[in-house]
Amino acid sequence: MSAMYDRLVGLLVDRFEVDRAEIGADTTFEELDMDSLFLVELLLVIQSEFGVQIEDDAASPGDTIGRVAEILERHAAPTASS
Amino acid sequence: MTAPPAGTAPAVAVTGIGLVTAAGIGAEATWQGVCAGASTAARDPRLAGLPVDISCTVPGFSPREHVGRRSSLTHDRFIQLSLTAAREAVAASGLDPATWDGARVGVVVGCGLGGVATWEAQHRRMLEQGPGAVSALLIPMLVPNMVAGHLAMDLGATGPNLVTATACASGATAIGTAMQLLREGSCDVVLAGGGEAGVSPLMVTGFAQMGALSTARLDRPATASRPFDAGRDGFVIGEGSGMLVLEREADARARGARVRARVAGYGASADAHHMTAPDPEGGGVIRALRTALAAADLLPGEIDHVNAHGTSTPLNDAAEARAVRKVLGQDADVTSAKGVLGHTLGAAGAIEAALTVLTLEHGTVPPTANLERIDPAVELDVVSGAPRRREVRAAVSNSFGFGGQNAVLVLTAA
Repeated sequence: MSAMYDRLVGLLVDRFEVDRAEIGADTTFEELDMDSLFLVELLLVIQSEFGVQIEDDAASPGDTIGRVAEILERHAAPTASS
Repeated sequence: MTAPPAGTAPAVAVTGIGLVTAAGIGAEATWQGVCAGASTAARDPRLAGLPVDISCTVPGFSPREHVGRRSSLTHDRFIQLSLTAAREAVAASGLDPATWDGARVGVVVGCGLGGVATWEAQHRRMLEQGPGAVSALLIPMLVPNMVAGHLAMDLGATGPNLVTATACASGATAIGTAMQLLREGSCDVVLAGGGEAGVSPLMVTGFAQMGALSTARLDRPATASRPFDAGRDGFVIGEGSGMLVLEREADARARGARVRARVAGYGASADAHHMTAPDPEGGGVIRALRTALAAADLLPGEIDHVNAHGTSTPLNDAAEARAVRKVLGQDADVTSAKGVLGHTLGAAGAIEAALTVLTLEHGTVPPTANLERIDPAVELDVVSGAPRRREVRAAVSNSFGFGGQNAVLVLTAA
């Protein structure tokens, strides 16, 4: 798993009080009881804490945590190389 | 304008109650605390450094434990307290949200302020960290109507759904409105009540600035809320929720439910006098009392007990006492729960209606905390010191809001 995945899991555990045992790369946000507005909140926190610029509709509740980590990585990449 | 002929409207039963108050989590804990007559007011760390720093706070409430992770993160406290009370009330009624016809279940909740603590915290974030730091959940955590929306989601209740805002009468207005929905047949079950968590630095300071709060006994918080006492000087803010499950009595009996009491009458009126001060002549209160009595088809002398609004402000208690004496005389045993619980604003009317149900069931009128020397202007029999045992067949629960909004409920023994 990528560093971004680990960071995302850390955020879910620390800020959103998800049990670490509930989380896997194939777990969807829906399975964590996070609806669309809750996900917008998560993306806002990611923007401010990770410094990643990402649209608030970049992910949906049916997405897996692994998939959203990939999206974040892509968005973070240009910043990292600049 | 005449009231509908009494006796023709279907009787409305209370089949479940739930309470979350500064006296404890649960109806039994609250009842024990109110009967013990000791005030819950204490110094509040959330208010440290402010001119008024005392409140009546729900003890030991853990959002994670009581409403779960998701609610603990996405709901303001006024919704969390309400959810807890609502689940208790529904469980007590014996109704099962998994099997009921949700389209016939309504939710009517009183709320005066909404998620004000969230609002203040997010406003601070915006000022300190910029707009990007503001939560996407601010609006659904703030707006008062969300409490009824969340209860609908939690319980699968898809009938009429609304929040009443009549300030400190909101909870009673909700129960009165629910009674009307049941009488007109708009639904079969209504979860009715009130929820409020307005103990925030800005709100408390706002109430303090208008002179509504007790300031004379900040060094002895447990003596500050003293309804009807000659030395009273304002209310102590509280938080909490009270919820009642209401059904038409015939339906409740048909399913074998335990009928706890009846909501027999409701009277509402406006003072149209002053934005916050009560009409000293009590004109609006008198009309609401008379309307509620007529709706319940009861004579003034048939009221055994008054659960007063009794906020502990000099103006309210004097005006209320005058109006009650004028309409009901001096025979009813009067109490105010606000000596123990403080003033829970939009939740108060519902919490006190639930306590009135318990008084009817137990034949016990709880004492008014801190009532040591009754104000000579209060020519009523106000219970103090210890609970008073007596048969209570019919009772009035008064609630009055800033804005001059009055809501009076008549509850009768099952």
